[in-house]
Amino acid sequence: MSILTKEKLKKTVTSPSRIAIIVAVVLIVASIVRRITGADDITSAGATGATLRFTIPLLMAGLGGLWAERSGVINIGLEGMMIAGTWLGAWFGFLHGPLVGFICAAIGGALIGLFHGFLVVKIGIDQAVSGLAINLLALGTARYLSSIYFAPNGGDISLSPQVKQPGVFSVPILSSFLADLNAKNIIVISDAAGILGGFVTEVSYATVLLFLLVPISTWLLWRTRFGLRLRFCGENPVAAESLGVKVFRTRYIALAISGMFASLGGAYLCMVSASVYREGQTAGRGFIGLATVIFGNWRPTGVLAGSFLFGFTDALRVRQSTSVHAILLVIVILGLLFAMWKLFQRNYKVFGISALSSLIVGVIFLKVPKIPDEFVTFFPNLATILVLVLLAQKLRPPAMLAVPYREREEGH
Amino acid sequence: MASAVEIKGIEKKYPGVVANHNVTLTVQKGHIHAIIGENGAGKSTLMKILYGMVRPDSGTISIDGKDVVLKSPHDSIALGVGMVHQHFMLADNATVLENVILGSEPVSFGGVIQHTAARDKLIEITEKYGLDIDPDQNVAELSVGERQRVEISKVLFRGAQILILDEPTAVLVPQEVDELFSNLKDLTAHGLTIIFISHKLDEVLAIADAITVMRTGTTVASVDPKSATKKQLAELMVGRELPKRREVSTQPSNKKVLEIENASYSAPDGREILHEISLAIHAGEIVGLAGVEGNGQSELIELIMGLVKTSGGTVSILDEDIAEMSSRKIRDSGVGYIPQDRQRDALLMSAPLWENRILGHQSTQPMSNGLWINKGNAQKDSERLVKEFDVRTPSINVMAGALSGGNQQKFIVGRELSGDPHLLIAAQPTRGVDVGAQALIWNYLIEARVAGMAILLISADLDELFNLSDRLAVISGGRIVAILDPEKTTSEELGLAMTGEKIA
Repeated sequence: MSILTKEKLKKTVTSPSRIAIIVAVVLIVASIVRRITGADDITSAGATGATLRFTIPLLMAGLGGLWAERSGVINIGLEGMMIAGTWLGAWFGFLHGPLVGFICAAIGGALIGLFHGFLVVKIGIDQAVSGLAINLLALGTARYLSSIYFAPNGGDISLSPQVKQPGVFSVPILSSFLADLNAKNIIVISDAAGILGGFVTEVSYATVLLFLLVPISTWLLWRTRFGLRLRFCGENPVAAESLGVKVFRTRYIALAISGMFASLGGAYLCMVSASVYREGQTAGRGFIGLATVIFGNWRPTGVLAGSFLFGFTDALRVRQSTSVHAILLVIVILGLLFAMWKLFQRNYKVFGISALSSLIVGVIFLKVPKIPDEFVTFFPNLATILVLVLLAQKLRPPAMLAVPYREREEGH
Repeated sequence: MASAVEIKGIEKKYPGVVANHNVTLTVQKGHIHAIIGENGAGKSTLMKILYGMVRPDSGTISIDGKDVVLKSPHDSIALGVGMVHQHFMLADNATVLENVILGSEPVSFGGVIQHTAARDKLIEITEKYGLDIDPDQNVAELSVGERQRVEISKVLFRGAQILILDEPTAVLVPQEVDELFSNLKDLTAHGLTIIFISHKLDEVLAIADAITVMRTGTTVASVDPKSATKKQLAELMVGRELPKRREVSTQPSNKKVLEIENASYSAPDGREILHEISLAIHAGEIVGLAGVEGNGQSELIELIMGLVKTSGGTVSILDEDIAEMSSRKIRDSGVGYIPQDRQRDALLMSAPLWENRILGHQSTQPMSNGLWINKGNAQKDSERLVKEFDVRTPSINVMAGALSGGNQQKFIVGRELSGDPHLLIAAQPTRGVDVGAQALIWNYLIEARVAGMAILLISADLDELFNLSDRLAVISGGRIVAILDPEKTTSEELGLAMTGEKIA
């Protein structure tokens, strides 16, 4: 029974035609809603671009969390590592340009990751305690260093001088073609063009390079010997060690990568999403990164999906508040479609739940003229909780996540 | 033909215990060689030595006719010795293939795993030896029998010629046992050698080409399974001389303290672990529960302590049915409990001794008034335990984890005897403690018995069982198969009962 449903799930997720259908449905619904509500921003190139800029920092924190957790260590310190990344990126970016900024952030993040490793792997401090310590330490250190380095250079204790942004590019022909198409206002097609346009117009080089870390992570973790061993450190370190895997060393490397990724996310935040370091700039993105790991079922593509969800709502919030209202209608329609599909499958329980919740959202859409910003920010968190509750049976966290491991001593 | 393994004069001492003494073993190539013996007979130590996990103090090992020194499992694997552990070393959240290749992955340049090559090699192995597993399945979806085949494939993948299987049938259902045996026959037909650890006589006689019996750390006999009988093996395992019972002046009374009637218990997965157990213990009586470990002893204890619920029958203490009682109620009604794993179940290792004194008495006088704990009484009584039970500790404020195993155990015994319980469940009360502490703990138990306590003693140590028990109940396969009088029982009777023979 359980195996059967698992296979079903696999097919649903992996079948390309199904994904295509889902994408098409979402697009059509979004397109219709745009016409009805006049919230043009929901399928514009600008919204996609903003979504990307908000997604990448979360994605980097999420991938950082993924690497650590796959090796069996929880990295609560992601937030602190991101803070380090924003500071290092801003300072060295200010001095030597964005490239050096990114490189220094990567090195600094890796070192903090190793420090976390030293605390939890070698000394055996509780993983959450060590992570929290790193967060506090990063916060205080950044402020302290800002007063020394930023203040005399045109910034102040909570603000850096202006940092040059890395270069951007637009894909020739394609970019302008999609823009034209979007302007023609043909139903569905223009919407698709708008969304795609955001991916090829004025994209930062940094966005592309960091985005590539998703397939690279997947490839390293699932195709190489190193990745296999790393995953076994998270699943069954005793077995791994009995087969000659150096658990401690592997976890050190995983945490260095984790810190490096989170820190790169921070550097992106201050050099691409903004062009200045501001205290509190990370705004809890490290923790949201942890949530995307859960949301993404400990897989890089899943983390990417989770980051998009959070990044999209972030982007909506800063652009047009009418969009938020329009999105509600999208949710209502998609929810009803889903409910009908379940009815067709005779899954009455899920039908009832989704129909009822769609109707509730529908009532909100009709009765509430403006959704408070706070709720918009909160929505992805709600989605993560829903995923946790509804899919708990299907989530597959590393079996030995956060369980301290001692290497066997010599001679036993 | 050279023998696959030849072991001579192996000695291994641990502090206070001789695990292996003058062990001699010859295993022929292509044989299934069974090593049988009770718990604690030294089988596991010997196999760990052969697999390089433990280094012997003296003695020689030769593999395929060559003398070898095994410093680590790495050395053994290189010499073609592989171990199939009783507790599987697998990751659920990974595929069969990933589990098999871990640690010896075929890789191309840059550490990229050659999945196709690895997969082909695994399929070749599984087809050659008839091991039915799917390389791409997740281990989480596999049955126990399949998991075991994964473990065997893992060893074969590394090129093992000699396989050590540590009680491979302990975790299997009968049908899986048959499959395993046919796999093992296949393996030996291809020239591989198998060393098979077991204590189930039927199985051993059915499958083995040669049998070596171990007892109290040494090899006592090599037997040909064609001519051997179960009776013979049972006697060899238990030994001709049984320990003598200690003289005790008082007789048990007629008052039933614990009464178990037709109690059954099924695990959450539906397997029946205990089958219609009936047993009564009277005031002033020690009943020893003998049996090979894993035959339902732990579950029986958990049933009495209210940690699991019966699926049939009743358990009552002083004529009161405990079915609806919580563990705390059961304890408060006068039951002491010495768990078999003291560090896990009996102590808070990083709490001071006096806090540990309160455990289990946290809701009753004098340790507590039901709301607040009484620190003063706890400390005073801890001092008493330290003195009366000879717990060697600098103070009652040190962490329980800082004490030696023997002193921890004396403290636990003292605590559980406090408050005058009517019934004491003592599970492996002297496991892993030194001889001095053992003698003391035995004395405390006998004193408690003389004072009128009813004691259920669960032990793997025959000395302990025979020394202390008024009656012996033998458990096998979740059933009480015999009630024996320790003064009249023969070693043959006990051995047969423990290995699952019903005695009329």
